Amino acid sequence: MKTYILTFTLSFIFCLTARAELKWEQTAVELHPMRGDKQAVGHFKYENVGKTPIHFKSVHASCGCTAAQSQKDQVGPGEKGEITATFNIGERTGTQVKTVTVETDEAANQRTVLTLKAIIPQELEISPTFVFWKQGDKPDPKTITIHAGKDFSVKHIKVTSSSPDFQTKVEETGEGQFKVDVHPNETSRLIASTLTIQSENSPKTFYATARITTAPTAPGVPAIQKAPGAPAAPTPAARPSAPTSQTR
Amino acid sequence: MKFSLPRQALILVAFSLVPGIGQAIYLRDKISWRSPIPPSEMVSVDQARAWGDSNIWIDARPDDEFARDHVPGAISLNEDHWNELLPQFLATWSPGKKVVVYCSAQSCDLAREVAERLRKEAQLPDVFVLEGGWEAWLKKNR
Repeated sequence: MKTYILTFTLSFIFCLTARAELKWEQTAVELHPMRGDKQAVGHFKYENVGKTPIHFKSVHASCGCTAAQSQKDQVGPGEKGEITATFNIGERTGTQVKTVTVETDEAANQRTVLTLKAIIPQELEISPTFVFWKQGDKPDPKTITIHAGKDFSVKHIKVTSSSPDFQTKVEETGEGQFKVDVHPNETSRLIASTLTIQSENSPKTFYATARITTAPTAPGVPAIQKAPGAPAAPTPAARPSAPTSQTR
Repeated sequence: MKFSLPRQALILVAFSLVPGIGQAIYLRDKISWRSPIPPSEMVSVDQARAWGDSNIWIDARPDDEFARDHVPGAISLNEDHWNELLPQFLATWSPGKKVVVYCSAQSCDLAREVAERLRKEAQLPDVFVLEGGWEAWLKKNR
């Protein structure tokens, strides 16, 4: 019985030490990029605590928005290094979780998943970012709610419509919350407007879209893509010819 | 006391589970466990194709991959240029249309994230993620 226990314990310890060659300082990193940051960079440090060199076979990010790089291809015994994961924030919002998969030639632990969590500050939360009326609908106002994100305070916002065919009215409802009523002048034409939303103490611009759409299509019946003369979709870059704006 | 061979094997298997279970408990909060997309929010290539014209294809991959190749008629909408691309997509949307979002493969997150923003921020109904992504579409169509 004693022999069995000794054999098992030795093989168990051997297995544990054999798989622990590349020791990671941490396999998960949480980043808090600042307002306006374009990238968030995570560093995953490691050390080869084994007795043989380790080779990286691949370092692969879960998303095209993240670039992962290893400083070296081979890590000798006792050597330290790091994998750098650069996450391009783009126009992403909220909490973003990306992973980097590292494959080595270690016998026991060939694959390690590194996790990069970036919490992107959200200055304004806009809901919804799209309001629409079906062609022929009554041009009743639709409401967009805007409120300041966590850790931000907003006293005034300005809403500008790229098209004079849509009217906006901003109303402060208290505690950094605003109500924006949007309505078209009429709904007979397929028109659209980009609503530009700006707060007084932020260089960042936010957008919402208002649109008159075609009526829903019955199943199996092809949709009418666009009525003749309907405008192309406005882009944020487009400058309104006669903007109408409301500030609060 | 003598152990039979199956009993010894069983004991070894049981002990070998200990580090695995320990690691799973220890790393419970340290690894991102992504909840799978509910089946009701996924659509297969065949089903999406059967929807025909009542369907809008959204390519959630980066611009360069979209430029290389994409589902015919697909619209590019990724989070790198969300503010610029979203109005272009919304200009083609109308009530009753189904939206099918894809990225490169089953394992990518981009389609799931774009679909989530369309549902939550733009409050669009009938937004689906394509099972298997662009790879699955290629297999069925090329």
